[in-house]
Amino acid sequence: MPVRPASGPRPPGRVVAAVAVFLALACLPLAQPPAFFESFLYLVFLWVALATSWTILSGYSGYFSFGHGAFFGVGVYTTATLVTAGEMPFLATLPLAGLASLLLGVGIGAVVFRVRRLRGELFALLTLAITFVLATIALNTPIDGGPGVFLSGVSMPRLYATPASTLYLMALLVAALALAIAWQLQYSRVGRALFAIADDEDVAEVMGVPTFSYKLRAIGISAGLAGVAGGMHALFVTYVTVSETFSITVPLYVVLMSVMGGMRRWYGPALGAIVVTALTYAFVGGEWALAGRALIGLTLILVILFLPQGFAGSIGAWRARWQPRAARSGAQLTPHGLSPSEAPATAQAEAAVARPSILSLNPPAAAASSSGALHAAEAPFLRCEAIHMAFKGVKALDGVSLEVHSGEILGLVGPNGSGKSTLVNVISGLLQPTAGQVLLDGEDLALLPAHRAARAGIARTYQIPRPFARLSVLENVALPAMFGGLQLAPAAALERAREALDFVGLLDRAADLPATLNLHQRKFLELARALAIRPRVVLLDEVLAGLTPAEIDSAIAMVRSIRDAGTTILFIEHNMRAVLALTDRLVVLNQGRVIAHGRPADVVREPQVIEAYLGTAAC
Amino acid sequence: MSMFSIAVRGIRFIALACAVLAGGAALAATSGAPVRVGGTLALTGPLAPTGLIHKLVGEIYLEQVNRRDGFLGRPVEWVLLDDQSKADLARSLYERLVTVDRVDLLIGPYATGGILSAMAVAERHGKLLVHNTLGIPKLAKYERQIPVYSIGVVPEQTLPATLFDALAANGKTPKTVAFVTSKFPSVHFMSVGARETAKKRGITEALWLEFEFGTRDFGPIAARIREANADFLWVGSIGLEGNQLLEALKKLDYAPKNPFFLYPSPGPLAQSPDGANALSMTLFEDHAPFTNTPQAAEFARVYRERAAKAGITYLDADMQAAVAYAAWQTLEAAVTATGSLDDARLAQWLRANRVDTLLGKLRFDGPGNYGDDLQKIKQVQSGRWITVWPREFAPPGARMNLQ
Repeated sequence: MPVRPASGPRPPGRVVAAVAVFLALACLPLAQPPAFFESFLYLVFLWVALATSWTILSGYSGYFSFGHGAFFGVGVYTTATLVTAGEMPFLATLPLAGLASLLLGVGIGAVVFRVRRLRGELFALLTLAITFVLATIALNTPIDGGPGVFLSGVSMPRLYATPASTLYLMALLVAALALAIAWQLQYSRVGRALFAIADDEDVAEVMGVPTFSYKLRAIGISAGLAGVAGGMHALFVTYVTVSETFSITVPLYVVLMSVMGGMRRWYGPALGAIVVTALTYAFVGGEWALAGRALIGLTLILVILFLPQGFAGSIGAWRARWQPRAARSGAQLTPHGLSPSEAPATAQAEAAVARPSILSLNPPAAAASSSGALHAAEAPFLRCEAIHMAFKGVKALDGVSLEVHSGEILGLVGPNGSGKSTLVNVISGLLQPTAGQVLLDGEDLALLPAHRAARAGIARTYQIPRPFARLSVLENVALPAMFGGLQLAPAAALERAREALDFVGLLDRAADLPATLNLHQRKFLELARALAIRPRVVLLDEVLAGLTPAEIDSAIAMVRSIRDAGTTILFIEHNMRAVLALTDRLVVLNQGRVIAHGRPADVVREPQVIEAYLGTAAC
Repeated sequence: MSMFSIAVRGIRFIALACAVLAGGAALAATSGAPVRVGGTLALTGPLAPTGLIHKLVGEIYLEQVNRRDGFLGRPVEWVLLDDQSKADLARSLYERLVTVDRVDLLIGPYATGGILSAMAVAERHGKLLVHNTLGIPKLAKYERQIPVYSIGVVPEQTLPATLFDALAANGKTPKTVAFVTSKFPSVHFMSVGARETAKKRGITEALWLEFEFGTRDFGPIAARIREANADFLWVGSIGLEGNQLLEALKKLDYAPKNPFFLYPSPGPLAQSPDGANALSMTLFEDHAPFTNTPQAAEFARVYRERAAKAGITYLDADMQAAVAYAAWQTLEAAVTATGSLDDARLAQWLRANRVDTLLGKLRFDGPGNYGDDLQKIKQVQSGRWITVWPREFAPPGARMNLQ
């Protein structure tokens, strides 16, 4: 099931409950429990903090890291060094431990996140390698040098009467901090952005998410929290060695705990940490040591096999089953009282024309126009000038120049491989051209990241729909509303998303995952996302491909209603019936070059067009 | 009531009282509350192979001590927990032993990291901690910790001195020495000390090479050793590193002269064909004169039986088995001598008296409660570890084989 949507302020009852739980736990030492319980809970909280901090980067953004041992280790050695060699008070070292790890994380991110191919397993291996590199540095420099660092003479701060209670309270604070940040992030714009990045980073960028900056934030927060936890743990273990600090244990355990608990929910890793730590302690008796370890392994296998989304995912699914559908989505039935899949396609198209509320939020200049034919004569506001794009020497675009006038539908056609999708990728900022300019109202977007293009008002759809698979339909549409041209707050973005979904007839599917939609509905979901961005130009990339004739009629009606409300459209399509029915002007590409442009009826009669394309692909 | 009947009743009452008292005393001797000794061992995780030896020895000792009426006439019970080779877990488990299980006495875990964690807990609760494998004496700061691992106060100086003395006494003072060492903490500081000692003795250093703990590919290191071709090779290794290095050297068709391995896995090195004449340090081996006492002989015999049953390949009771046993002996000696389970009294007694153990007479009155350095040099001969230096600890007829 999708995660809970961003919805502005947290319910006050839950905040009060969380604070009450925290205060109750913080007061536990006053009851003077045996020191072991505090010591045990210390380790629980330590792992809660580490696993939660890991999930902020890896669970939320999907960048699977094996480098948490490095961030933890930097925290350990920062504190160990400062309290011994620097004779600094222990508590004063903790922010510095966090800062050192944060800087390391941001430094790694600043390099790695710029390289598109360093995703997935390559990122995991690279972070693991960094752990080994840091261990080598610590081992071969005065940071450690080999004999380890002993903290026996370091005075323990007196937050409570006993050291065990003091360490317990510190661990509780660090865990609470990590959970609070994870909680806040999950329901914030940043959290939305990270989840989108996890599902499809390129699409997130095109929807307006500044992915580089958000990933840096995630790795910085994640590393910083791990560093603080490491600094605290240095005092707990007293004797710090490289082999134990930078061992594979930390990354392995945090991954295990997060997978077990559920990586995409703020409380999931905490559940995993509690269960794994409790299991670890459940079988420490000398007689049961081996059997206990085997049982822990078996439990983990069973959880991974039967609860693939972890405990938290299962809890979420269970809650969703018991929650009324309308309450989940905040959705309303369509005016027809039918779902889009049930309603006749033509009826949906008519409904779309009759529901222009979403378009009312389009830019005033565009919305003021009402007829495409009128715009053809106006000055172009999107202009591609001499665009060249080459892939390893193969020319995909060879000096393409075209103009899009405000409020028109410009058709872009051409045979397969002619460069249409490449041009769309260049205009939307996903690809940076080898040469040339993409001018929107005079501003060159060609070399800017894709999210800047989105914020400037360029929206696009994909030939093969690319929804964020683990976000609900509603969240899929809310995301561009948050990060596109409108930059709406989460609550307002949800409202706009509902309007967009209502416009395309998908409101009653708002709470569902995209995987449950048919192709027709996914194409309309793409449209809704494009509209939510408050587009000045929508690039529709073969939006009709794969649809039935009835569905094509509905889509044509939909596109026309969007244009009639004042949105400019670049319509890339093979279906010439639709092209001729919709477009005001037509540009034909062949082998990366513009071979014809003008009024559609004129263009389709040009010999070179017929030769290159229409002769074999006419409807 | 006549005086006679009163006297009879009085006698009956006294007899009954005596019977009750006698019965009660007998009951206390057979079913008294056990003395609970708590400790952890690495029963799982990377240190488990050695941890299991300590467990085996502890079980042997408990059987023996309980046949001897236990501690103070009460049976001894061992509350043993698995610290999974993790120092942080060891710390929590010692907290549990003290504050939840409320054991009477503590005995240390295996390995330096775990011992230091346990020591911090013991210090907070004022408990006595008898431990047996703390490899870096200068880290022992707590006054009620008792180190049975009798390597002296500055083993990084005394062990190399013993070693070079042994070579000199056999007419093989090296002119050149090659040092390769793991950066494992308790190993590295010993190697640094050995380097200093060699320098002071005017031995030329042909090679100094450090490698990280966990290194598996010893090819490049082996090539450097062959290139140095020193008269003596110091290998600061722990566990199987020594075997792995020898295998790498064999691939280069090079047999080092007089190799010394600091903390090898005893079985694999002794039983390897490449390990012949390898040197190492020891505190006890399964041969005379260590096994001359009935208790030591019995221990060695029982250990061999139990080790075979437990699937341990090297059946001789070696240093690890002996230090584990000596820790229990030390605890028993203090309890018996003081007639008490009071931690302060036990620690005070131990710091003031010597204790007879398998390792020899131990004292705990030096810096960090360390006493004499009882380390000796042993060598692989015919697939077994044989103590070869000092000569009085070598079995009859044994000689040190050097190139």
